[in-house]
Amino acid sequence: MNPVEIKNITKIFKSNLGKVKITALNGFSLSVPGGTIFGLLGPNGAGKTTLVKILLGSVFPTSGTAKILNEDISNYKIRSKVGYLPENHKFPPFLTGEGVLKLFAELKGVKDKNLNYKIDELLDLVGMLKWKKVKMKKYSKGMMQRLGLAQALVNDPELIFLDEPTDGIDPIGRKEIRDILLSLKEKGKTIFLNSHLLSEVELVCDRIAMLDKGNLIKEGSVEELTTSKKIYTLQLDGELPPGLFNAEMKLLDNSTYQVHVTGLTELNSIIDVIRAKGINIISVNPQKTSLEDSFISIIGEAKNSNKNA
Amino acid sequence: MKNILIFTKLTVQEAFTRKIFIFFFGVSVFILLLMSIIFLSADLEQMLPVLSISKSNGIDLVAELVRAIKMIIIAPLYGIGLFLSVFSVSSFIPNMLEKGNIELLLSNPVSRAQILLGKFFGGVLVVFINLLFLIAGIWVLTGLKFGIWEASILYAVLTITFTFAVLYGLIILLGILSRSSVLAMMVTYLIFLIVSPLLAGREKLALLIKNETVKGLLDVLYYIFPKTSEMGNITMLASTGGVVENFQPVITSFLFMILTLYISIIIFNKKDY
Repeated sequence: MNPVEIKNITKIFKSNLGKVKITALNGFSLSVPGGTIFGLLGPNGAGKTTLVKILLGSVFPTSGTAKILNEDISNYKIRSKVGYLPENHKFPPFLTGEGVLKLFAELKGVKDKNLNYKIDELLDLVGMLKWKKVKMKKYSKGMMQRLGLAQALVNDPELIFLDEPTDGIDPIGRKEIRDILLSLKEKGKTIFLNSHLLSEVELVCDRIAMLDKGNLIKEGSVEELTTSKKIYTLQLDGELPPGLFNAEMKLLDNSTYQVHVTGLTELNSIIDVIRAKGINIISVNPQKTSLEDSFISIIGEAKNSNKNA
Repeated sequence: MKNILIFTKLTVQEAFTRKIFIFFFGVSVFILLLMSIIFLSADLEQMLPVLSISKSNGIDLVAELVRAIKMIIIAPLYGIGLFLSVFSVSSFIPNMLEKGNIELLLSNPVSRAQILLGKFFGGVLVVFINLLFLIAGIWVLTGLKFGIWEASILYAVLTITFTFAVLYGLIILLGILSRSSVLAMMVTYLIFLIVSPLLAGREKLALLIKNETVKGLLDVLYYIFPKTSEMGNITMLASTGGVVENFQPVITSFLFMILTLYISIIIFNKKDY
């Protein structure tokens, strides 16, 4: 059982009495495996937040189904096992940090005799213990974000949705939040992360899905998405004679070459030719790209294919 | 039920923070202090002519005086109290529906109906507590001064709270539909201060209208809309010891409240946030 199962989900927003229709999600399916950190990426307006809102009941899908923790999303009671930090969230301004956590613990149905102790622990975890008696109206954006994370964890959820959790947080705070996410994963929690900060996503996520204009463009492990299948580095124990291959080949140093191929078949043909020349191959490594480069390239390709279609 | 109570408590907390309680408490204390000063400084003989009560055989002057005092307080309290109450709660729903807040609330294991009912009972409780403080205070003061502990004035707490609840149902519906506290307030005032009194006098209006269809339409509208005008009369009658014989305004206003809440829940259940 995957904690999140989405099947053919579509969301069309209508405005101006139904005259204008905007497709926010365009009929895709997605599964999030348990005990992983799953990153959802996409440019602005890709449909990331809409998807999370559908899973958590504030937006209704036009068609398709979704399950969280093996329950249909229409069953609101399942949300007692879910934590959520929305983007640009607002807490009642008249509550203190402690009051916010107590309110959401109550709403989540937390029955813990040691709730006060647990709240202190959570506030300490996000570095907000000193502010527990201070009202929300005095909190900065970063502090709200930290408290939001504590709120998302107050019911010890099995599944946690975080929408831009490090928004407004300084680099040290971001590192702290990354560490919290990794420790939650170690405890077997499943984390669904929406973020624009690709470098951070790359550091913590196991799997990634990329959305663009409501379509699922790509899905896979970080390793898969950051590994090029068209550029390889070949380390040989000798130099190649010039003009040997049609493929684009670049000498990086004495005996290391970068080769651009159309796929594995071409790569293997090149290897065969090199071996036939009696040159030993020390290593063949696929080129690694950053998630950001990979993201830009994948989204760019999607845009081009849309233009051509 | 527990979830409804959580939202009721949250709404009362919101009223505290937005100084609604302090404002109403301040007004109530001012009225009670003013009454205390008048009661301490004036005796019965001085009060009678001020309240247009003349000595005549067979009249219990003290009881008449207490009745007159109650009328002097309850009549404006009904109008001004409702006006201020509507003003103070009109933003409860639009505030709740603000982006960043509503998504968080809906991500909890609570139904949308529970959230809305919690907000409704919270608003009603705020008005009930404030009215109870003021009207019970008036009852105690008149009791202490005149030794008459006739408790009918306390009915005003119930009737004014009820009328407020009817109007608050409408505010909730308008808040859900428009997310605008100003619009919710303006439409409610329109019904409270203009439509309802006009429809209450529809029989007089009918004398000026020849078209039977229009007369019929006025009748239909009369039974649909809340009867704030008649509820004012019922409040006066009940709080001064009179007997209420016609409960039609109470029943139809109650049905209006149920209908607005029901429609609000249906719409709230279908909306994306």
